[in-house]
Amino acid sequence: MNANVEVLRVENIVKRFVTARETVTAVHHVSFTVAQGEVLAIIGPSGCGKSTLFNVIGGLVKGDEGSVAVEGRTMSGPDPAIGMVFQEESTFPWRTVADNVAFPLELAGLAKKERIERVHHYLQLVGLKGFERHHPAQLSGGMRQRVAIARTLAFAPKVLLMDEPFAALDEQTRLLLGDKVLQIQQELAQTTLLITHSIAEAVQLSDRVLVMTYRPGRVKSIVDIKLPRPRTAEIIGSKEFGQYVAEIWNDLRDEASLGMKDAEAHLPKAD
Amino acid sequence: MKLNLLRLAILGSILLFWEAVAASGLLFRDVVPSLLKIASALGHLGVNADFYHNLSATAGEVGISLAIGGSIGVVAGLLLGGSRLLGKSFEPYIHYLGPTPKIIFFPVMIMWFGIGPGSKIAMGAISCFFPVALITAAGMRQIDQVLIRVGRSFRASTWQMVTKIYFPAMRHPMLNGLRLGFGVSVIGVLLAETKLSNRGLGFLVMQSYSQFDMPGMYALLLVVFALAILVNAIISRLGGLAVSEI
Repeated sequence: MNANVEVLRVENIVKRFVTARETVTAVHHVSFTVAQGEVLAIIGPSGCGKSTLFNVIGGLVKGDEGSVAVEGRTMSGPDPAIGMVFQEESTFPWRTVADNVAFPLELAGLAKKERIERVHHYLQLVGLKGFERHHPAQLSGGMRQRVAIARTLAFAPKVLLMDEPFAALDEQTRLLLGDKVLQIQQELAQTTLLITHSIAEAVQLSDRVLVMTYRPGRVKSIVDIKLPRPRTAEIIGSKEFGQYVAEIWNDLRDEASLGMKDAEAHLPKAD
Repeated sequence: MKLNLLRLAILGSILLFWEAVAASGLLFRDVVPSLLKIASALGHLGVNADFYHNLSATAGEVGISLAIGGSIGVVAGLLLGGSRLLGKSFEPYIHYLGPTPKIIFFPVMIMWFGIGPGSKIAMGAISCFFPVALITAAGMRQIDQVLIRVGRSFRASTWQMVTKIYFPAMRHPMLNGLRLGFGVSVIGVLLAETKLSNRGLGFLVMQSYSQFDMPGMYALLLVVFALAILVNAIISRLGGLAVSEI
């Protein structure tokens, strides 16, 4: 990681949703930067506007204020500089694993020979060599999410932007896949922005953790994770790991309980 | 295996029952002709050049009407499914016009396209437009939204979205639409031919009927059944290839 070279700059993002009854501010003046090769995790309670922020940074949704720039170039809409990985099941069921990974390369009009080489390289990277001809339905959920990650990486984005990529998986798969992503990120020195609601995941994978407030989503604090790199799965057992988890939970607890109270207040009550 | 035997037995007993009714003489002569007579009428059809001429006329009309009505239906369905406003404003009309018997449009079609193949093709095309449009629109709304977001995140053009995401994601409903569309366009064309025409299978059926050539009429009906089953099987096979990945 080279902390001096800033790759992603997110400045003053504001996003409001206007309904007939009210205007809800989902994201309120959020700013941060991510350096070359760094992993920044964004964590916050449900309803803090994490997914909205993901969509605005990825260019799928237009923010009301603020800007997103990669290496000094301001983004306007989806851009090859930012590669998105979604939390939902997002592989194309009618394409084979290899053709799924080739999808963005096809769109860009890459020659077949180069497509095959790149697909091969990235499938090997995510540990799916030998599954080229399988269809997603024949794979496990964790393998399918690796296909989605390979597909996004194949486009060689400057910034990898992931929205709770392990949310749909069971606990053990989540831990294993988290470790896999960590290894890949370290191998590629991939600048990464990870959105998550799991504190352990945030500490395990990232160099800094940005804690968001409950609605409207603002930056509450940024915690430096000074765990050694390269990291392996063993880090989870260390004393420092536990201290970071506790520290972040301390920041997060008030916000999470605000969210919970708000959700309970909106439930219909029996008389 | 057992099931196949059972199916054969059902078919066999229907044929036996038919033959028994024919032999009993209870019904007016030839209303239920003997299977042998139908078989021989089929044989005659097989060597009759006129039959093939009419068969190809009908097949051509069905094919063209399916191509016209089906492609307009797909485009209309994509527009209706893709735009909330268009869908909400147009769909009630299509929804309520869909089940009305299209034969009521036939006089209008004769005025517009003449009594030749034009009006038959128009009938078939109108018939198949409705189910194809409705099924395509419904299929479009069922596409997993995250797949569309994936396409957008990779900056797919509109054309790439349609050909690489919408169409493959909708392959099952669209094949179903094609199958339904084929069925109703056959009905539209044959019905129009029986009303007013001078060629086609529908015309031949009515000709046999007016000459009280019952074996010939049944033979023609069998041909129509067989063709419909064959085409349906081919379309299902195409669908089968598409689903093999699941």
